[in-house]
Amino acid sequence: MATHYSSFERGGITWLLQRLTAVFLVGVLAFHFMLLHFVNHAADITFAGTQARMSQVGYFATMWLFLVTATFHGVNGVYNALVNQGLDGTAKRAVGAVLTLASIALIVQGTRVALAMTDLL
Amino acid sequence: MSQTYDRGTVEDFGRWREFKAGMWAWLFHKFTGWVLVGYLFTHIAVLSTATASDPTVYTQTLSGLEELLIVRVLEVGLLAVAVFHILNGVRLLLVDLGLGLENQDKSFYASLVVTGAITVASVPTFLAGV
Repeated sequence: MATHYSSFERGGITWLLQRLTAVFLVGVLAFHFMLLHFVNHAADITFAGTQARMSQVGYFATMWLFLVTATFHGVNGVYNALVNQGLDGTAKRAVGAVLTLASIALIVQGTRVALAMTDLL
Repeated sequence: MSQTYDRGTVEDFGRWREFKAGMWAWLFHKFTGWVLVGYLFTHIAVLSTATASDPTVYTQTLSGLEELLIVRVLEVGLLAVAVFHILNGVRLLLVDLGLGLENQDKSFYASLVVTGAITVASVPTFLAGV
């Protein structure tokens, strides 16, 4: 029986980042769900309420980090899944480029949305 | 000192017939991961209504969606997917740290049971006021 087992090759920076973001996301995703479904019900959410939350520096920073880490973890997870299925060569590079562009677009748009929700600026 | 662990061919989806706990955990983690990353892109798209010059666009879009029963039901599904991915993710982190590999089947079953319990307990909250 193995004493140590890992799903991915060890030693790479993305391997480490996938796990570090996982640790962060475990807490923040649970917090996000609790706050916006159980403390504040989704049906009762208004722009004013969202703006009040997003105008607190700590909450804004947490949500922006949530966006960045979730995008990395999710898109890198998709990439790893495709590589596990045998993606290789030119197709691997092309998929990597498309996923990188999609990540950048999501983070840019998510940042625009976050800024529109706050009155910090 | 490291040892090898023969997990078979990862790419062979036909192995689901073997009913090995680790294989189901792997499949469920992949499935829930795809759902969550798909939802992330959709979520930012819907929240983009906050960039409209009229703030009521955001409020009315969210309340309009929440009036639909199918949206509430899908939210319960999203909670189930998120809870399982979190719990199984913790299980994977522990295994990666060398903890609990011998009990990885039991921790997978525990993840399923806790996910089911949280999901069922959350149904009244999600469906309230539809």
